Formats: sequence, structure tokens, C-alpha cells
Amino acid sequence: MLSYLIRRLLGIIPLLLGITIISFAIIHLAPGKPTQIEQAFNPKVSQEVRLRLEKLYGLDKPLHIQYINWLVKLGKFDFGRSFIDERPVAEKILERIPITLTINIFSLILVLLIAIPLGVKTAVKAGSAFDHALTILVFLLFAAPTFWLALLLMQLLSIQLGWLPISGLKSLDFEYFSFGKKILDLAHHLFLPILVSTLGGFAGLTRYIRSNMIDALKQPYIYTARAKGLSQEKVIYKHALRNAILPVVTIIGLSIPGLLGGSVIFESIFAIPGIGRLFYEAVMSRDYPLIMAEVVLGGVLTMLGNLIADIAYGYVDPRIKYKR
Amino acid sequence: MKNTYLITGIAIISILSVIALLAPWISPYDPAMIAQDSLLIPPSAKHWMGTDSLGRDLLSRIIYGCRISLIIGVIAVGIAVFLGVILGSLSGFYGRFMDTLIMRFADIMLCFPTFFLILAVVAFLEPSIINIMVIIGLTSWMGPARLIRSEILSLKEREFIQAEKAIGASSARIIMRHLIPNAIGPVLVNATLGIAGAILLETGLSFLGLGVQPPIPSWGNILIEAKSTLGIAWWITVFPGLAILVTILGFNFIAEGLKKIIG
Amino acid sequence: MGNLLEIKNLKVEFHLDERVITAVDGAYLNIKENEVVVLAGESGSGKTITALSICKILPRNAHIVWGVINLAGREMLCLNENELIKIRGKDIAYIFQEPVSFLNPVYTIGEQIIEVIKLHQGKNKKEAYEETIDLLKKVRIWEAKRVFQSYPHQLSGGLNQRAFIAMSLACNPKLLIADEPTTSLDVTIEKEILDLLLELKNKLKFSLLFITHNLSIAQKIADRIFIMYKGRVVEEADSQELFKSAKHFHTQELLSAYERIGRI
Repeated sequence: MLSYLIRRLLGIIPLLLGITIISFAIIHLAPGKPTQIEQAFNPKVSQEVRLRLEKLYGLDKPLHIQYINWLVKLGKFDFGRSFIDERPVAEKILERIPITLTINIFSLILVLLIAIPLGVKTAVKAGSAFDHALTILVFLLFAAPTFWLALLLMQLLSIQLGWLPISGLKSLDFEYFSFGKKILDLAHHLFLPILVSTLGGFAGLTRYIRSNMIDALKQPYIYTARAKGLSQEKVIYKHALRNAILPVVTIIGLSIPGLLGGSVIFESIFAIPGIGRLFYEAVMSRDYPLIMAEVVLGGVLTMLGNLIADIAYGYVDPRIKYKR
Repeated sequence: MKNTYLITGIAIISILSVIALLAPWISPYDPAMIAQDSLLIPPSAKHWMGTDSLGRDLLSRIIYGCRISLIIGVIAVGIAVFLGVILGSLSGFYGRFMDTLIMRFADIMLCFPTFFLILAVVAFLEPSIINIMVIIGLTSWMGPARLIRSEILSLKEREFIQAEKAIGASSARIIMRHLIPNAIGPVLVNATLGIAGAILLETGLSFLGLGVQPPIPSWGNILIEAKSTLGIAWWITVFPGLAILVTILGFNFIAEGLKKIIG
Repeated sequence: MGNLLEIKNLKVEFHLDERVITAVDGAYLNIKENEVVVLAGESGSGKTITALSICKILPRNAHIVWGVINLAGREMLCLNENELIKIRGKDIAYIFQEPVSFLNPVYTIGEQIIEVIKLHQGKNKKEAYEETIDLLKKVRIWEAKRVFQSYPHQLSGGLNQRAFIAMSLACNPKLLIADEPTTSLDVTIEKEILDLLLELKNKLKFSLLFITHNLSIAQKIADRIFIMYKGRVVEEADSQELFKSAKHFHTQELLSAYERIGRI
């Protein structure tokens, strides 16, 4: 087990290098130096920006030196300073993480709470009217862009019915609220984003659990469970579900890139100050150090998600031995 | 055996393709025509889907948007499949160092949230239709490459290939001949889903203002206005979204139908 | 002496997408107490479906069209699910072909045996644990504690099948139905498992319905043999009698195949 972990951890080193190389390549992707593009956008600040970029990435030095210098800085979690407000990039990102994390964790919990029973129900009643109806719903949710769902729900719940705030995280007079009221206010603001994110996620997982469950219910051990005299519920929820649900651990890890990408659109619509919106703002204002830091962060988080998914799966599924 | 998914999907996409092809002839108005006297008109006999805040006919803009979306989806996936076939074949044929190199590269590419990568590149380049197609293509070749590679590897193992080799045909030619019928199914499924994905990416990018740039109409950039007209002009939110929904449904249906055929 | 189990005129159909297949068509069978009855026939002849019908644990698309299945005076086909689950695992227990796939891969052997003891005997955790260890020893598993904690994939086929037998006998069933329990095992292990089953049968006094396609096993263990062919029972005989004078052509076929193998 321990040696397996060590081997896996060593295995991420080439991946990490690859992630940084590709991220670094992006800076040089544009024709000419990034400083020149900057010039094209805004000639007035170009002189200053050029100096800053050259200082940050050492653009006058040979490529490999540039890369190594940058890598060393990354290793120290030094992502440079934002072009916009001169604050350290790492600090700007760190303060945005909690809100993105909160929304994703809540919606993940909701997705699991909805998708597991629905997946099981549709598998047990495969071919029924209920199953067909849910299949149609799943296809529709798959096909609808999340930002459109968000717009529709804003229209309905916030504008037509007036139940929820349209966007933002806090009411204007938030500072004067009592602690309890602050929590309620946050929940009120977060309801719609979490709802939309849940709608986007549960369709796929329901489908996945359904097909796993149908597969599990055909397995020989189900006959054994029935022959033992277990009730239908025990057969389904104890014997079949446990087998069907184990791979879901992997799915959660693998969903990280999708969630991060989604958060960009999502947080922009709802004006939520998370890392997605930060990234969007960075792209709009061409805040290069911030963009680079987020790209690297996205890559590293995805890679860690894969790694944790793998290890967790090995941990929960007794059939997987730590060999390989 | 009837394949409702495939038939429905093909029907939807055929209709959309015809609409895209005939856009100049079937759209009732010039999509860029600004009309000061008809701002934000709700759907009516004159404007079936209403008008936007510049008085442009929404139906005409959606019809032209269909063109853009289908073109971007198909070409982006074309690039991805082209790259995937080449890299996957190289990896499968030569094995060893080449295989390790290409597959590690694919692993690394898969580590990036595609949307992050695309946004970062867009920040350095000008957002344009060509750039978007190329970037989406460059970031989605990994699926087809893996499919082709595993197909070649399994073909290499098969007996009939070994037998033909013994007769004296060159292995590359044999594999190519068997590869196409074997790999075409999975690659088609992957490509259809890929087109749906690329169109969703494009609409998302355009919605953020980082994709197709006005005045060229795209479903994503039409929806930008939906946010500012929320509660005033529901048609601007509803119709472009429905267009996206139907298109994606069409491609997903085809993919589902193809999966059933492959088994 | 009366019959413990009596099946008459059983018909089972499979409903597939576009057609209906009759898997069992008018099968009959009877077993007396403490008797070993072999149900033999080639694969696809309806043996397993007949056996699964007894407790109504058929696949989802299988339907019992008609028939009588009488267990010690109770008409099984008239019982509802709630009544049936009290009989399954308690009065009638099953052993299947490949223990490793018929045991749940994500639970330990111990958990799977304890489950059935708790279910039918209402014992607490500690009692159930002790009883499970006893059971494992009864089926001659010497490292009972290790096997208790093992997952099926960690054990050999023979060990899994022993554990499976222990699980089946946990509630002292009146009837044990063994569906090709040795087919997936080595020949030496096969003999050990057969000996174990017969020994336990004599000790615990249950009836054994043994399903096999292998007539040499049938000859060794059976008191009586029923031969199935294409969903019907085509011959019923004492085991000695059958090998002397088979009546149905299919039985003769099976026997001649068996003799050919015997000569080699």
C-alpha cells in the first residue's frame, strides 16, 4: 500500500512538468512576444507592461532559462503580482477559493442525494414509463447549456416570482445583519447557483448509476442474495448498490476539470466572486500572471483529482490490489 | 430493429444543415439590419421570434447562428479527429518511445480543464471564428487518438493479421485495411459527441464575449443580450437557447443511436 | 414416506424483446426426505430454471406459466414474496456453479454468512460470529478466522465453495439445491466437495437436489435420477436401474457419451 502510494506520487512528477511546460508554452503561443501583443491592445501602457513582463518571465533570456526560472518561482508558490492591482496573485486566488469550493461541495452533495436514488429506481424499473420520462429529462439536461438554464431560472425564480436575488453573494446591507441572518442571506443568494450546478451535474450521474445498477442486478451474486431470503430492498440496496456505486468515487475525482471550467461561466452569470470569475476577469483584462497561475492551478487540481480518485477507488473496492 | 435515436437525430441534424445552407434565402431579414422603429418587439406575424434591442430580427440571427455553430462544431472536430488519427496511428504502429511520448502528452493535455486552456489561449490571441475552431480542435484530439491506438494494438494481436503477415503483405497495409472498418464506429460516436461538445464550448465562449464577435451572430453572443433584457424580453433568452438545445439533442441522439449499432 | 418436494407439470417461459421461449415445458420431479436426487441433462435443457422456480428466484424476464411446486404440504407458487423470503435460505438453500461470481465481491465471506444467520435466526452479532466460525470448521476450513475476513477473490475456488456450503447450511435447510457445484473446480477438489456434501447430508439430514450434466457424478451420489431434455423430464429411474436399461433415446445418448469418456 505504502509503496504503491509512493510510486503514484513519483508518477505525478512528469505530469507536473508537462502541465507547466504547456502552460509556459501558452505565453509564447502568440505570434511574437507577448509584450508585442500587449502593445497592439494598448499602446500607452505597452512600455510599462513590457518591462513588467520581461521582469516576471525574463523574456530577454533564452527559452530554457526562462522556463526554469519560472518553474523555480512556481515551486515557491510565487506567481508574481497582478497587473491590475499589484497584489500577489497567490493571495488573490486563495481568497476566492472558499466560495467556489462551497458551491461545488453543496451541489455535489445534492447531486449524489438525487442521482443515487433516481439511478437505482430507474434501473430497477428499467423500461417503465418512469424510466422513459427520466431518460428524456436526462437528454434534455445534457443538451441544455448551463448558462441558459441559469438565465431561464433567473427569469422565473428571481424576476417573475421574485423569490430569489438575481445575482451576487450578499445583500447591500449585509454588514448590519446578525450572524444568523448573514447565513440566511448567503443561503438565499447561493440557492440559485447551487440549483443550476446541481441540474447540470445530476443528469450524467443518474445515467451512470442506472447503467451500473442494471449491470449489477444481472450478476450471479444477486441470485445468491435472493436465495438467502433477503428482501427485495436488501438485495437492491445492500448487494447491488454497493457494487454499482463504488466507481462513482472515480467519477467525482474526474469531474474536477468540468466543474472548474463550468465555474467560469457560472460565476460570471451570478456575479459570484470565486476562482472562475477571477479567471474570467483576468482574461478580460489580460492579467497574464493571474491567467498563468490559474491555468497551472487548473491542471494541478485535475491531476490531483485523478490521483485521489484512483487511490480512493482502490481503497473502497476490495478487488483492486495495490500492485501494478 | 428500429433505431429511433439514430433516425430522430439524423432528421434533426439534416433539417438544421438545410437551414444553415439556405440561410441567405430563407431568413426573412438581413440579420445585421438595424431598425430603430422596431426595438424589442415580442414575437409577432412580422417577426416570428421578435427583435432584439437594436431592432434586428431574432429569427434571422438564429438562422445565421446555426451556420456558425455547425461550421465551428464540424471543423473543430475535423481537426481533432485528423490529429487524433495521426497521433494515434503513430503511437499504435511504432510503439515504444513514440507511444510513450504521445500517450504521456495526451495524459498531460487531459489534465487541463479544456475551458481554462481555451480561455487562456484566447487571452493571448484575438478571439475569432478560425481561432476558436483551431483551439477547440487542438484541445480535443486525445479521445480519437486513444481509440485509434487501442484499435491498432488489438489488431496487431489478432490471428488473421498474423496470418496475412506470414503470406507476405506489409503489416502497415494490412492494419490500415482492417483498421478503418473496425475503428470507424467508435470514432464516429466520439466525433458526434465531440461536435456537440464543441458547439457547447463555442456558445459558452461567445456568451462570455470571448468567442464569435459581433456583428457576426452566434447563438452564444445573442444570449449576451438575454442577461440585460431579463424580465423585459423573454424571447431573447428562450429562442437561442432552444436552438442550442435542439442541436445538441440531435448530435447526442445520433451518438446514442450509433452506440446501439456498434453494440 | 411422503415427498418433501413435488413438482408437477411446470412450464416456464422467457419473454424476450420480440419472442417467447419456453425453457421448461411440463417438467416434474419429486424428492423424499434425506434423499439425493440428481437432475441431469445437457446445458440448456431447463435444469437450472426448474431449480430456480422452486423458490421463485428466476431472472426478471422469466415467467412461470403454470405448474405445481409443493414443499412439505405448502404450495410454493401460491405464496407471496413475503412468505417466500421466509422459506428461502431457511427451508431451502442453494449452492451455485462458480462460487467466486455467486459470492458478492465487495463483502467478506464472514459478512455474507452472518447476514443469513441474523436474517433467519435473529441472533446477535457475537453469537452469529461464533456460529459462522463453527460452520466454517464444519465444512473443513481450518483457517476459519482468516477465511472469515477474506473477500471471495482472495480465496481459491474450492475454499469459496466450502464457504458457500457453510453459508447455505447455516439455517439447517430441509432441502439443499446444488446447481453444478463442482463444474468450475478441479477434479481433486470436485471429489472433496462431493464427499463433504454427502457427509453433511447424512449428518444434518437434509434432502439434496443435485443438478449436473455429468452422469458419472450422478451415478456416484444419486438415489434417483431425473433426466431433462429440451425442457421436459424424459426419464426417471433409480440410479442403478438407469445405467442398466435406459429407455429414452436421449438418456442413451448421454450414457454412451459417458461410457466413451469412461473408456478413455
